[in-house]
Amino acid sequence: MTDHAVFTTTRRVLLVVVVATQLVLALPALVEHGSPAPWIAYALLCCVLAIVAGHVAAGRSERFPAVAGAVVLAASVLATTALPEGASFGPADWAFGLIGWYLLLVLVERPVLLVAALAAHVCFSVAWFAHAGNGDVGTAGVVILSGTSFQVGVLVITGVLVRDARLAAAAAAEHDDARTREELARQREQDLKAGFEGQLGALLPLLADLADERVSVADEATRLRCSVAAVQLRRLFAENDDVPDPLLHELTACVDVAERRGVAVSLAVSGTATPVPTEVRRELVAPMAQALAAATGRAKVSLLRTPSEVRVAVVADAGDVLPHRGTVVTVETSVHSGLVRSEARWRTT
Amino acid sequence: MADDVTAVVVDDHPVVRAGVAHWLSSAGITLVASGESAEVAWTGPGAGASVVVLDLHLSGGTPATSALRRLVEDGRKVVVYSMRADDEIALQCLEIGALSYLTKAEGADHLVQAVRAAAAGHSYTPPALAGALAGDRSETRPALSPRETEVLVEWFQSESKEFVAQRLNITLSTVNSHLERIRVKYAAIGRQAPTKAALVARAIQDGLIGLDDL
Repeated sequence: MTDHAVFTTTRRVLLVVVVATQLVLALPALVEHGSPAPWIAYALLCCVLAIVAGHVAAGRSERFPAVAGAVVLAASVLATTALPEGASFGPADWAFGLIGWYLLLVLVERPVLLVAALAAHVCFSVAWFAHAGNGDVGTAGVVILSGTSFQVGVLVITGVLVRDARLAAAAAAEHDDARTREELARQREQDLKAGFEGQLGALLPLLADLADERVSVADEATRLRCSVAAVQLRRLFAENDDVPDPLLHELTACVDVAERRGVAVSLAVSGTATPVPTEVRRELVAPMAQALAAATGRAKVSLLRTPSEVRVAVVADAGDVLPHRGTVVTVETSVHSGLVRSEARWRTT
Repeated sequence: MADDVTAVVVDDHPVVRAGVAHWLSSAGITLVASGESAEVAWTGPGAGASVVVLDLHLSGGTPATSALRRLVEDGRKVVVYSMRADDEIALQCLEIGALSYLTKAEGADHLVQAVRAAAAGHSYTPPALAGALAGDRSETRPALSPRETEVLVEWFQSESKEFVAQRLNITLSTVNSHLERIRVKYAAIGRQAPTKAALVARAIQDGLIGLDDL
């Protein structure tokens, strides 16, 4: 429930209270003790009532202008001054309580202004009472206290309702946020899974061939395929790790697999880390991973980051290395005196 | 090998001093003194050694760049031997005037070559240092020709000058002279040091580099 809903509901209830008070309590008193001046005040209040009723019926949300309060206060002055001597706060004073309810009705969203207007109304009535000088102080005190305390009570309750509504709205928003975050995390996990399946391309056919016994691990070619798949898989696992230098992290992962296979690998790094998109990292690492998978004895992996380029190279004593091709990186593979050299370059600028 | 290359080793680990002593003596280089502080290179037999092998991280703490600076200002030929492969510190040591910067991961071969080169007043660029030079992003870095950059990168990537020569279809001595030219370009920038000035002067004398290149 928003502030607006709280105020609209309060205003509806107040409207019923005001209509009832005006018809049941004020009208008979006015008819009994009336002279022309208070009828003007009554008519003024009826106009305000009609406007507020129209406002509520139309479901409009904006606050009433402060001038509505001034009109109500003017009616208060008219009604109070028209009272016969010493009639203030007595049965003939039809307006005192009613004006308070009117002020609540038009100024409920503005507590400070409302309290000021109520105080002004009470003060003026008390001043008029004191000016006449022959009224019963005890009755006046009871009337003022009972009337205003009830109205201030309504104001306080409205304030509490507004505060609770705001708390509830904040809690609801937080709950919604949590739901959204949960949904996003779920989506991300799904994307990750889909990405893994796409990346596993080389592995799944190999597993299928092995399971169907179409290939045998006794073959050199199959062992090479296994080796390539192992390096690819290890790189894929490293791809989503949250590390300061993801490219180096992936290279290290590939080196680790080759070292487990008994290849002596040295890794040299130069230059400072620069952000490299995941797609580019995949292409930069792939040729080197392939050469490492085929390496038999020694390999040297290097990562060089110059002001304009990122270069990943491998020099290894590998037999057959399939030439790689990149879309965003330039790959160059060559063989010199039994050593395969493969380098992937990516221009950062 | 009968040459008169003498060296002094400054390192706070006895095992490193012993290892370096063994490597150098196996290569015919006379180790005249060794110790755990730079004092050993200033007093006794160490003061006359032609090359100082200086560990940059004496007793943990801050790099011994001030010890390096004092030695270089005195005209000593220094090979920095560090356990850290930190590009920035390597470049800083070259700027101060070290003739070579080696990491302890690089083996005996590179150390012996670096000491020999330093004794003759030449620079020596091991692969890790080549990587640091290739990845240099400082404002003051000298302009290298595309060929020089290629040699630097290939040497860093392969650790084999023969391989670089084959790849680029040049001779081994051309690979070396490219590396020397690069170091001369680096020696010509930054603060003055006797070793750096000698490096530049010799390169110009030998026709390795023209004044226009600097």
